[in-house]
Amino acid sequence: MKALRRHGRLLLLLATAALFGSSGWADAEGGATELGWTTRLVGEGHELRRDSPFAAGLPLTGFGRDRYRIEQELRGRAGPVSLLLTATESGQEGAKPNGRFLANEAYVDFSLGGQRVSAGKKVLAGDVGYAFRPIDVLQRESRMQMMPPQLEGIPMLSWDNFTTDGAWSLVIANPGHQKRGEARDDGSVALKLYRRITSADFHGVLRKSTRYGLEAGAATSWVPDEALELHASLLVQTRGERRLPMADTVPVAALLAADGAIATETVNSPRKALVGGTWTTAEGFSLLGEAWWDGTAPVATDWQRLARQAAQRAALLGLPGVPAAAVAGATAASTRMFDQGNLPRRGLLARLAWSEPGGGWSLSADLLRSLDDDGTTLTAAASWQGDRLRLDAGIRRYGGRVDSAYRLLPEAATAFVGVSLAY
Amino acid sequence: MFKRIAVMMLATLGLNALAADDGKVKTLLKQADEYRLALDSGRVETEVRSFKAGALDKTRLYAVYLKPGHRSLVLFRTASERGQKMLMLGDDYWLMMPSSQRPLRITPMQKLLGEASTGDIATMTWGEDYDGTVSGEETIDGVPCLKLDLTGQRKGVSYPRIVLYLSKKDRHPVQAELYVASDKLAKLARFTLGTVEGRKQVTVMTLIDHLQKERSTEVHYLSRSDKTLSDDYFNPAFLVRADLPQ
Repeated sequence: MKALRRHGRLLLLLATAALFGSSGWADAEGGATELGWTTRLVGEGHELRRDSPFAAGLPLTGFGRDRYRIEQELRGRAGPVSLLLTATESGQEGAKPNGRFLANEAYVDFSLGGQRVSAGKKVLAGDVGYAFRPIDVLQRESRMQMMPPQLEGIPMLSWDNFTTDGAWSLVIANPGHQKRGEARDDGSVALKLYRRITSADFHGVLRKSTRYGLEAGAATSWVPDEALELHASLLVQTRGERRLPMADTVPVAALLAADGAIATETVNSPRKALVGGTWTTAEGFSLLGEAWWDGTAPVATDWQRLARQAAQRAALLGLPGVPAAAVAGATAASTRMFDQGNLPRRGLLARLAWSEPGGGWSLSADLLRSLDDDGTTLTAAASWQGDRLRLDAGIRRYGGRVDSAYRLLPEAATAFVGVSLAY
Repeated sequence: MFKRIAVMMLATLGLNALAADDGKVKTLLKQADEYRLALDSGRVETEVRSFKAGALDKTRLYAVYLKPGHRSLVLFRTASERGQKMLMLGDDYWLMMPSSQRPLRITPMQKLLGEASTGDIATMTWGEDYDGTVSGEETIDGVPCLKLDLTGQRKGVSYPRIVLYLSKKDRHPVQAELYVASDKLAKLARFTLGTVEGRKQVTVMTLIDHLQKERSTEVHYLSRSDKTLSDDYFNPAFLVRADLPQ
């Protein structure tokens, strides 16, 4: 993470140099400095689950502690450089406010000898789905977050080619990196393909990295009539990784070791897939339905084992010779199991939304359901967009079967309000 | 025998009249289009003022690049929308939100529901998309007009039927009744003329919403230029690139 921040600062310096040194290029292209400023305040409230089996470790985690976030965002173009800079102050219960300055994006798109090239730090999002994006193999965006912060780009170099109905790009992501802590920070080479055939888009991706070997994916988005959009996405990996709790057969003492609470297992040839569609009416209502399979996500028995081990740790509390700190540390470490893209392997999303025709109000209600263990997540949100002012509010509640992934989350509910002002 | 010949002659005359009418309508539409966009390709800067119950609700700025073959690219330039792009290629539409940086294919219905209906600002000509008949003459706001009943010639048009009133004198557009697919009157458009670089041009299009009674919109055409973009820019995959002239 530190390396990324250092990289961001370096790119920012490059961008600033370009801003003051390359206005001639911008003028030649007809571009000019055009930057927009947005101030955003997000307040959060969390309800911790009183009967959580992870209660002993929660003070050592971030669960339920986020209170607010104040973001200043500068977005736009300065000469040839596209920029997204954010300065964020975030507050957590029981902690001093934390400040962070980040160059989320700083890149240059240019032509070189008739070839289109991009260089710098850039968001490389892909895929066609809403709840899950199997072929988003470069950006690896976390989905279904409430009022998420701006995406952070990836250091990259790409060569882009465009035809009448298609395009392909050769991307070098995180140049010079090998395998890093997170998959999105790994060095990789990817070929991205796009083709439009009548009312359907087809996307393809091939990516090579040390961690996953070769990944191949394809996705499509099709608009068969004026109100309906259908989409599908599929990814096949040479190998994948999945998180799982330690084996049940380990000695009791191992339960107190934070390092071994969660293990990473290699999965051979996993597959990830999603199908879905959106139907929109003239009155502004839309219904989105999606179903997916993630071959690297935990299965129901993994979550049951995690809950069982948390209960075993809690039972050790107060026993002679068992340090409470060790119980808390190991329990806190085991909650890293929740820190992954998809909690259930098979999921369904139904989203009913209404947007005021012509803009203004938007309302939505989401039901996310795990087909593995009958867990549910219910979300309701509302927003209003004015000339410069935007208001957001929402609430999410986790529930379902007692040993389901969503029900095991240490938070029972979370709510937020957001105010944004754009200049 | 004589009767059959008479019927055939009448039928032939009728067909010729229809063909003549068809050609006349196309010519009329081309003349009317000259007041909106007298260019095959170009860039139009628009300011859209939305009114709710008569009070100004929102102001939005757009830059629209147009190319032959029903291609248009809309760049959103208002502070709260900066970085959004909408690409329209015939009946196919894509939206790119700056927060996601990926082109998203949207349905015609989703396009219609957007802010200020981007179709209203991106459609600058009728000649390519509509055909019909001259159905009569009427006086609108004191201007003697030809009344044209127009039907969309492709499925992606925002309004499948338009009743257009053109000035009899110089063919400038005066008023248009815009009907949605259910044949409901959606909007009434009125056109205000001004003199731009020595030419008479439509400077404001006022849209009175008939489905949401309290809403109206003014589309102000701030500038028109022949500035064009290469074909690459009209490729959905290109939307993620930032080398668009802003």
